[in-house]
Amino acid sequence: MRTNNLTVLLFLICLIVATPLSAKEIKVNYRLKWLFNTSVAGDIYADAKGYFTQAGLSVDVKEGSPEKNAINELELNYADFGVASADQVIRALDKGAKIVVIAQLFQVNPMQWIYRADQPEIKTLADLKGRNIGITFGGNDETVMNTLLAAAGIAKDEVTITGVRFDFTPFFKRKVDVWPVYRNSQGVILKDKLGKEGEKVYFFNPADFGVNFVANSVVTSEATVKNNPDTVEKFLSALLKGWEAAMDPANEDFTLKAVKKRDTGTNDEIMRQQLIATRELIKPSAAVKIGTIDIAAWKQTESIMLLEKQIKKPVNIETRLIQIK
Amino acid sequence: MLFRRIYQFLIVYLIGISFLLAIKTGLSLSDYVIPGVALIIETAEMAVKPYFFDVMNTLSVTVLGQFLSIIMAFTVGIAGRRSSWVGSFIKVTAYNIQAYPIVALAPIIFILLGDGFISRLLIASMICYFPLLLSVLGIMATPVKDIEHFYIVTGRMRWQLEVKIRAFENLTKLTTVISGSATLAMAGTIVAEFIAANAGIGYSIRIALYQSDLAKILIALFMIGIIISIYQGILETMGEQIKTKWSISKKGEIL
Repeated sequence: MRTNNLTVLLFLICLIVATPLSAKEIKVNYRLKWLFNTSVAGDIYADAKGYFTQAGLSVDVKEGSPEKNAINELELNYADFGVASADQVIRALDKGAKIVVIAQLFQVNPMQWIYRADQPEIKTLADLKGRNIGITFGGNDETVMNTLLAAAGIAKDEVTITGVRFDFTPFFKRKVDVWPVYRNSQGVILKDKLGKEGEKVYFFNPADFGVNFVANSVVTSEATVKNNPDTVEKFLSALLKGWEAAMDPANEDFTLKAVKKRDTGTNDEIMRQQLIATRELIKPSAAVKIGTIDIAAWKQTESIMLLEKQIKKPVNIETRLIQIK
Repeated sequence: MLFRRIYQFLIVYLIGISFLLAIKTGLSLSDYVIPGVALIIETAEMAVKPYFFDVMNTLSVTVLGQFLSIIMAFTVGIAGRRSSWVGSFIKVTAYNIQAYPIVALAPIIFILLGDGFISRLLIASMICYFPLLLSVLGIMATPVKDIEHFYIVTGRMRWQLEVKIRAFENLTKLTTVISGSATLAMAGTIVAEFIAANAGIGYSIRIALYQSDLAKILIALFMIGIIISIYQGILETMGEQIKTKWSISKKGEIL
């Protein structure tokens, strides 16, 4: 009799201990590609609104930086999900990484070029001839510009290529005519600065000339998709819900407040302009569902990287793109 | 000394690579995270030659930067050795400026001087200069009482003699600091190239980082390590020769 009581007691203890465990949130680490700013508004929004918690997830949204590589962290199990640019994904696949893309955040690549409106507008690629073009040697913009010049049949000696970095002085001093920027961050700041001097600017978007080089996407490991499909679905669904809400102009105030909490250095008006610019890149039209993977653009990105000898062999990128409904 | 430096570096490098490869194998990481031996060799075949010239380019700025910083450190160190107001002001300035991270000063330098040779030289000198200055100040501000007393009481002490006495008595310390500062000058030049330059190994490392190419970075580290070991070995050998020569020539004579 005493043994039976003890068994019942043990069973009850197990039940009490097990119940909160099963209800516990699943811990997820999510590594962004860049610092907190409006480029990651949707990620911040999903976190701030508690979408992850509602999905039963405890997501640690971690800021990115040049030294932090989401793909490395996936392999090292420091992160479960991450944001990586298409070139990072394709390079990693070329070197045997076992990763998959589960959503494409930017439908239009923010990497564009800015130039002053007092210069002739670039209406065709041939208009690049004779210009002093800034590129970041080793960066995506170099690959994209090489592709554009090749597509236009422009020889390297028909343009002046200048290596650029974070310091915009050569552009301000007009030593470089066409300067590479992230359209929704640096582009807004430069446009504002030049605007204060009474100067207007244009943006040169490679996508307008047929070069669709994919930018940031959400990635995870093959193992996560295989072993935890439920977590993947919950995470992505909460994340994309956050992005849809953050890109809705009706939620602008909340979005800006949430971003401001993490990006205290940017002034309010610049941040608002950056959010507007981000909206056009993430959701270029109402018909576009955020997260849609543009397979044709990915294939083109792979082809460009092959042509530019950035990778040694085809990686068949289309087999690594998983559009989760 | 030169060969000892080289094989010591090779041992350290091989231990480092082995450690990385052990992690790669242990955690089944892809070549993207940590390159395998085959990829490192393949990359080496492609990158050793251009990286050699890049490191030599960096080294040329390093040598010049170090030379400049030695001259500056000795000039300021000698001027600031006295316990006068000016001497104390120079010391305080040196200590305070040292506290500023170069990455914060670099953008100002690049705006003023552009991203060419002069900026690289200045940053290399700055990084190398402060530790040198502190050592020189420490040495020059500390009297060698036993010897100096004689010249002071006989009324023959001049500032040049004071500097000579203090330098001679601390020769080992000085040569060690100077050869040690070579690595700082190299690091300074690489930082400058990494932040803003269109040449040198720091610039090449930045490009490799853009492309997440750790194999190239490992090759760059090898080239930097081997060349700086040779340079430091040469400096140490020169220091030994100067010490021997100076000791023999003085042999207890008046300095």
